[in-house]
Amino acid sequence: MSTLVVARLEWRRLLVRPLAWVLAAMTLAWLGWNFTLLLGSFLAGQIQRAALPDGPGFTDLVAVPLLGQLAQMAFLVVPLLTMSVLAGERRNGTLPLLFAAGVPASRIVLGKYLAILAWLLLWLLLTLSMPLALAHATHLDWGKLAAATLGLVLMLAALAALGVACSGFASHPAIAAAAALIVALALWSVNLGAQMAGVNGGAINWLAMSTHVQPLLRGLVSSADVLWFVLLIALSLALATRRLATEMEHG
Amino acid sequence: MTTIIPATSAPVLELEHLDRRRAGRPAVQDLSLTLPRGQVLGLLGVNGAGKSTTLSMIAGALRPDRGSIKLNGVDFLEQPELARTWIGWLPERAPLWPELTVAEHLAAHGRLRGLRATALRAACTSIIERLELQPLARRLAGVLSQGQRQRLGLACALLHKPALLVLDEPANALDPVQVAALRTLIRGQAAAGTAVILSTHLLAEVTAICDRVVILHEGKLRHDGAVRANDHAALEKTFFEIAMNPRPARAA
Repeated sequence: MSTLVVARLEWRRLLVRPLAWVLAAMTLAWLGWNFTLLLGSFLAGQIQRAALPDGPGFTDLVAVPLLGQLAQMAFLVVPLLTMSVLAGERRNGTLPLLFAAGVPASRIVLGKYLAILAWLLLWLLLTLSMPLALAHATHLDWGKLAAATLGLVLMLAALAALGVACSGFASHPAIAAAAALIVALALWSVNLGAQMAGVNGGAINWLAMSTHVQPLLRGLVSSADVLWFVLLIALSLALATRRLATEMEHG
Repeated sequence: MTTIIPATSAPVLELEHLDRRRAGRPAVQDLSLTLPRGQVLGLLGVNGAGKSTTLSMIAGALRPDRGSIKLNGVDFLEQPELARTWIGWLPERAPLWPELTVAEHLAAHGRLRGLRATALRAACTSIIERLELQPLARRLAGVLSQGQRQRLGLACALLHKPALLVLDEPANALDPVQVAALRTLIRGQAAAGTAVILSTHLLAEVTAICDRVVILHEGKLRHDGAVRANDHAALEKTFFEIAMNPRPARAA
């Protein structure tokens, strides 16, 4: 129950801060504009594609690229949303209020994580509503779209967990945002050197987030990829919980 | 919601041999004391004497390195969730979420302390009336004056009708009228059976409202005795003797 109380408190704080609204408005406006461009390009090339029996459709050329753009934006949006969740509480001096209410560190972290995740899922849903609004007028590859959506959900969940962990360790929200951005970008492109050298397997490629997101965006769901995200989320939340518990213990 | 306290003859609070180090030095050393129902205990000491560390441990925000804390005979360190309903805490400088309104603060605190739906609404309405927070109810905590923040912090501490009220310098930034109201409120809480710990730098505050005074110095209990009503001079003498004398004296 205390997890939900913390989640509700964090959700409320998120909704009354202008940052969440500004981020939502700006990113959705940008994604809306890009959706229009992608749709225009799709309609312009429709005649040429009609000659191809298995050519790319609306899902490949509009819906999935739109989700890909949301994924790119998430690298900036998620750290900005998560930066204050614990570092802000620490700065306000309000963390001891949660400790004193007998809420365990794990529930504080989980509650805050769930609130951020709810915002991100709403953001994803609003983005998805753009291609879905045309579902009646075009042919959607539902399987591919579902796989890409799952990929985005897992990616947003992982970035949010990373952001919460960085906020747990930072003394200032700005430091938390910078750290989350750097860690996320490093995790995305950790295999860049290996790929440039022509290495396409091994541990370094397994470590990279891009290795696990791209198959999902192409419609390929693998339990190994899902597990990678689950491990990253669990590790990040465990680290944040450990940090908070230590703070509670040592002051 | 009324706090359900088990029928026991145990004191509301029992501290036994509490130790706590902070920033590499002992902040509280071997502190033991008990507090019965309805008593107002004044906690005095110079800056760095260990008052806030002691209160943070009692409130459940900080774990002691050694020793035990019992609430109504139950080991609080074994069951930290007891703090949720049994303790009301006003930390120094009343930390608040600046983006929430006064009413939202009270609701959030109530939920954190286990109040639900009707009980929560009733508790919020009651405390808003009692502390005259109606004009501020829709105002953001971030724009409140220091005195208003303090009143909101006090309302949050009292909301769930705790058995033990822990107040860290509650009169900070209050005007004389508000200080008088605070004294009446604390005495009223004590009369209703709530045990109160009041940390302050103001000796007059202690002689005006406390039944008992404890003086800490360098993390150790140096004086524990009854307060003679309005005998400010005697308390001042004891306080300065302890504050100026680095050698530990036996507790009275």
